[in-house]
Amino acid sequence: MLAYSIRRFWQSLLVLIIVTMCAFLLVRLAPGNPARLILPDEATEEQVRLMEIKLGLDKPLPVQYWNYIMDLLRGDLGTSIVYKQPASRIIFARVPNTVLLALSTIFVGCMLAIPLGVIAGTHRGSPVDLFSMLFALLGQSMSTMWLGVLLIWVFAVRLRMLPAMGTGGWEYLVLPVLSMAYPMSATTTRIARSGMVDTLSEDYVVALYAKGVSRMEMYSKYALRNAMIPVSTMLGLNLGIFLAGSVVTETIFGWAGMGQLMNQSVLTRDYPMVQSLLLISAIMFTVINLIVDIINSFIDPRLSIN
Amino acid sequence: MDTKTTISRMLHSYFFVIGLICLIFIIISCYILPYWIPWEPLENSLLDKSLPPEFFRNGLSGHILGTDTLGRDVLIRLLIGGQYSFRLAFISVVLQAILGTVLGMLSGYFGGQVDSIIMRACDAIMAMPSLVLAIAIMAIFGPSTQNLIFVLTVSGWVQLCKIIRNNVRVVKQQEFVLASGILGASGFHIMFKQIFPNVTTNIIIITSQRMGFVILMEASLSFLNLGIPVPAPSWGNMIAAGRQYLVTQPWLIMAPGIALMLAVLAFNFLGDGIRDVLDTKRKV
Amino acid sequence: MSMAAATDATERSEQSEWETLLREEALLRVIGLRVEYRTERAVSKALNGVDLVIHKGESLGLVGETGAGKTTTALSILNLLAQDIAFLKEGYIEFDGKDVYKMSISELRAMRGGKISMIFQNPLTALNPVFTVGEQIALVLRIHKGMRNNEAMKRAGELLEMVGIPAYRIKEYPFQFSGGMRQRVGIAAGLACNPQLLIADEPTTALDVTIQAQILELMRELQKEYAASLLMITHNLGIISELCQRVAVMYAGRIIEYGLAEDVFASPKHPYTVGLLGALPALEGPWQPLAAIPGVIADAQNLPDGCAFHPRCDNCKPECRTEQPLMAHLGNRHFVACFQNGED
Repeated sequence: MLAYSIRRFWQSLLVLIIVTMCAFLLVRLAPGNPARLILPDEATEEQVRLMEIKLGLDKPLPVQYWNYIMDLLRGDLGTSIVYKQPASRIIFARVPNTVLLALSTIFVGCMLAIPLGVIAGTHRGSPVDLFSMLFALLGQSMSTMWLGVLLIWVFAVRLRMLPAMGTGGWEYLVLPVLSMAYPMSATTTRIARSGMVDTLSEDYVVALYAKGVSRMEMYSKYALRNAMIPVSTMLGLNLGIFLAGSVVTETIFGWAGMGQLMNQSVLTRDYPMVQSLLLISAIMFTVINLIVDIINSFIDPRLSIN
Repeated sequence: MDTKTTISRMLHSYFFVIGLICLIFIIISCYILPYWIPWEPLENSLLDKSLPPEFFRNGLSGHILGTDTLGRDVLIRLLIGGQYSFRLAFISVVLQAILGTVLGMLSGYFGGQVDSIIMRACDAIMAMPSLVLAIAIMAIFGPSTQNLIFVLTVSGWVQLCKIIRNNVRVVKQQEFVLASGILGASGFHIMFKQIFPNVTTNIIIITSQRMGFVILMEASLSFLNLGIPVPAPSWGNMIAAGRQYLVTQPWLIMAPGIALMLAVLAFNFLGDGIRDVLDTKRKV
Repeated sequence: MSMAAATDATERSEQSEWETLLREEALLRVIGLRVEYRTERAVSKALNGVDLVIHKGESLGLVGETGAGKTTTALSILNLLAQDIAFLKEGYIEFDGKDVYKMSISELRAMRGGKISMIFQNPLTALNPVFTVGEQIALVLRIHKGMRNNEAMKRAGELLEMVGIPAYRIKEYPFQFSGGMRQRVGIAAGLACNPQLLIADEPTTALDVTIQAQILELMRELQKEYAASLLMITHNLGIISELCQRVAVMYAGRIIEYGLAEDVFASPKHPYTVGLLGALPALEGPWQPLAAIPGVIADAQNLPDGCAFHPRCDNCKPECRTEQPLMAHLGNRHFVACFQNGED
């Protein structure tokens, strides 16, 4: 399992190197001169050329990429055009909010999805199963965007129970968490259900019953562990996506996280910021997936071979 | 599986039947209803602004779902927005299917260097959350229909590619493929005549399940004003615009929100139905 | 007329000898078991009146082709038929004087794995891949002997040693073991609680021939040591002759011949048994062509009337097509369900 973890680590590193290339090329391929974007509109040709030299844009592309990587390794993500500050400082100030939102969402989503999915899977054809099916189908069709706006209308506009927008205590967290957790828990419910159904049709389940294992033990321990492997992969993917910043949710609810920053940077054409956010997202996403894969290899040691 | 079994399974799958009926209804409405509605999606009239839905009180000539703050008819915008959405999603899904299939087959069939290059590309794309990647690309290259199709496609082919690749690797090892290789069949023949028919089921299943996802993603981009450029209507930018008037004119978000939900629900039903119908592992 | 009445009378008396056998004091008694599988489209009659007895310490071989209902019989003994598709239509199963289908849940659990344990056909799928083999043996001890975890794991190690696997491997996962080793683990778990009856469902079918021999040898030793009764389910007649005192031959969900293994092998009476034995190559004596049984096994979804074997039988009589033959006694507790009663 250690060998597997190390192998997965190198794989992830390779992926991240490719991602840095993508992020680098994305901005270099963009129409328009990056130097001109930084300078005020009335800048002269001379000023633009000086800026190009300052940014290293006069050098060949591989040299520019090398410099970019060296800067990254020093923790320099470039300078925000709008804030005139290092992008890293602005981004990391947003990280706690995004992490809070992401973890709360995953927690609420699991609380809904896992019990529902497991009960539906162990009681196929029961009312719970039917309910879980409808719950999941509706949730998969509800976009976070539409659900978010709908929740604001119901709870903030009509019922006046919760604030519509802003960053702050738990009352600000409820609606964004719900609007993200429901679509996520819909998929998770389905995966937990089908994981349970698939596991319960395995030969070893009959073999375990033949050893005197009770239904409760089967559902809560012996089959649960097998059924949870696809669920934990799914949760890892979702956590990665949420940690990268939920652009739509954070924009709708004015939650001061990385997603909202992304949207603002896009609107203000702050390309160094967009590039850095893409990179940070990819790093978060890759690291989380690496951790999940390693955890899964402990749950199911077969995953560590092949 | 012969045609008769396929059709009988289709008719026995609730998902398939409900999804298909809803979808036909939605698509026909989007493409045919506009001929009977006397409004244009971009036609604004300050006299008629912010009218609440009057439903069928004035028949088809009234503002059935009300008007927005510029006095544009919500229903016609909804229908035309639906047309845009479906067309974009369809083009993108077809491109994804082609790209995923071709690269997956090359990767699985040739293995070695080809395989590792394609797989690393897949890994890199998968390492970037698809919406964030799409936003970054749209932000830098600017909103246009071509760019929108590009970003909807760029991360969508990876899943299919990986599945097809694994599928091909398994099929390639089976006796009938090895045998035709021994009998001197060309690589091209083996790939398209022997292997391809064995992966088509997966292509159809995976592709049919992507429509709903792509529509949702397009709506999210349009919501952030990075999708279909305004003033052209789309469900996403209609929700974004309606959000400002949530207190006084909630119908502005209800109509596109419900339309989006129903359309995606119908595509998801159909996708699940197709999977049920084609799944060879399903017990009879 | 009187001839027919006389035949009826003899048949009844012959049947009653079979019934006497079934009524004897026995560890396990299966009477007139009928089980159906119902799926979306079809009903398949898996068991059509199976009678079986196993006495204390006895080893019985249950032979038949794939699809004859052997595994269904085994699972019904443990009341483990898949509840959504399998239906017990008739008959009952009595273990140690108690009706298995009237037991409470706790009695059932105590029986499963404690008094009766089962070894499964495919060792590759019969162990849960995400638990260590030690855990899967220890759980039996925890359930039935109330052992604490440490104690159970220690005992699991001893059981592994007993089946020829070093005890330190209790912490390993099933995928780290070969098929034969996994079957040894299955046997160790099966014997953990000194069961009164061990059901082995084709325990060697999925294994290589050399490994088969080792596993059979192990089972023979252990059965002797533990003095458990054995129900050996197999389609391999060689295994029966090595391991079992008695043999029951099954065809289309019924027992069609029963007797001491040496009697049945020396003079098989049912044409199906004859065919089964004829399908084995003889190693001694003059060369003879292998005899295959013509036709295919009866379709459980569409059973023929009368004797289920009649479409494949060379000596089919008119009554074979319409009536089910009963078990006729041929002496020395050798029974056969055939209208020819063994006379050619």
